[in-house]
Amino acid sequence: MRILGLDDVTFWYPATANPALENVSLDVGPGEIVALVGRGGAGASTLLLIAAGLAPRVTGGRLAGSVNRKARAGIVLPTPWTQVSGMAFTVWDEVAFGPANLGWPEHAITHHVDRALERLEITPLASRDPATLSGGELQRVIIAGILAMDPDLVVLDEPTAELDSEGARAVWRLVRSLAAEGKGVLLATSDVDALPDVADRVVWLEQGRVRALGEPSLLAEDAMCEAGLGTTVAGLWRAAGLGAPYPLTVVDAVQRWR
Amino acid sequence: MALTRALAFDGVAFSYGDVAALSDVSFEIAAGERVALLGRNGAGKSTVVRLVTGLGHPDEGTVWVGDWDTADRAPEELAWRVGSVFQHADQQLFARTLREDVSFGPRALGLSPREVRRRTEEALDALDLHPHAAQHPYDLSPALRKLAALAGALALEPALLVLDEPTAGLDRAWRARVADAVREHAGRGAALLVVTQDLAFAAETLERGIVLDRGRLACDEPLDRLLTSAERLKPLGLAPPPVAALSVALDLPGRPVRERDAAHTLARVAGGRSAS
Repeated sequence: MRILGLDDVTFWYPATANPALENVSLDVGPGEIVALVGRGGAGASTLLLIAAGLAPRVTGGRLAGSVNRKARAGIVLPTPWTQVSGMAFTVWDEVAFGPANLGWPEHAITHHVDRALERLEITPLASRDPATLSGGELQRVIIAGILAMDPDLVVLDEPTAELDSEGARAVWRLVRSLAAEGKGVLLATSDVDALPDVADRVVWLEQGRVRALGEPSLLAEDAMCEAGLGTTVAGLWRAAGLGAPYPLTVVDAVQRWR
Repeated sequence: MALTRALAFDGVAFSYGDVAALSDVSFEIAAGERVALLGRNGAGKSTVVRLVTGLGHPDEGTVWVGDWDTADRAPEELAWRVGSVFQHADQQLFARTLREDVSFGPRALGLSPREVRRRTEEALDALDLHPHAAQHPYDLSPALRKLAALAGALALEPALLVLDEPTAGLDRAWRARVADAVREHAGRGAALLVVTQDLAFAAETLERGIVLDRGRLACDEPLDRLLTSAERLKPLGLAPPPVAALSVALDLPGRPVRERDAAHTLARVAGGRSAS
């Protein structure tokens, strides 16, 4: 069973000769959290657009290979402020915009909007004008708007980029609880230090290709540390010349140190 | 003092309608100082940036940029002293190529073509953007657009550089590039005020931390001390970055917060252990 399957996908943006993604195969199952990591420009955002069905449908361009999506997908872009509807004068209405456009009955909209606000811990913002929110508050409102549509596949591009530590932790907790409900989560993040506690699988993208795929322990391997993509603790261990295998997290490091 | 003061908030209050954003905020930043402005989402950090750049004026108190009261200056006049990158920096770009965008600021200041060229090329250089200089800003990834906006601010060669979340969404290599570029800028005597949730970047790049909590100044002290104190950070909605957390967890001498220092200390202590 898989919610999303990419088989040998290659993708070109309009008017470009070199593909942004090349021969990528990847599955996401229900209840699974898959994290993409890589240098900027490695193709993670492109892969997420394809997963959510926005590329090539909205972006244009050309796709080879096959994409199987057996579920409704919702995506939070790395620029969430571009996802504000602009049609709502309160946060509640903003979050309700998606569900309302799905044509749901009113009680279902209310239920899903209230639940999404609670899950993002932004119920106190419900009556605020979205235009008066800070960047981090807005990021949570946009995530709530996507969740309110109850997608089976949640696609998140840098979901914690502008959040404070508490807000970031809340989002990672939320990701785990979405997976526990059986939703598939595909995300890209530069916060690799969060991944050992969040991701089931890590995909290392390099220049549009999958360079490696495995458990989060991949983030402590020498090659990933050398590429600057390992966890901070693994990178430090390596920089101190303390020999592999490197600890993945602070907790691992403390055990190793004793 | 007035000569070296780059920025001062003196009893500043500001609100958006009935939502109070800042109350009674006072601090000073000297030339060459590298300051992090920290705090929860909604604590008032971006409002500080708006006031410094003259996009808003305080309801009470005064914002000084050097010896200028920002209330008397238009934003374009403040651009002589303040370079800024906003949180959603892609909204700052509008030219047809990245190079043209970076050169807009110096041209708007009325500098000579030669000086405009020098500053533009140096700014592109500082952030390694030459390979993208001929591209349309909207063909770039969000991360590169952010760097483009930063290059534009550097090209102003401002006495005060104000950055709002400069590393959001950037990978580690780009973050290191940004760190080098802004440190170098500060090394030439400019003051830095950086709003950030990226405490690892703050630890590597900056030296002093000012924390806002619900619009009030909650703390102002050296970053290395602040970042190694989980008890101090927690009520402010912050958590120690991984290097600081590791320093504390392993009880490393001197509690280093920068990666290089921590790696060095780790190697030294481990060496001492295996020798004994």
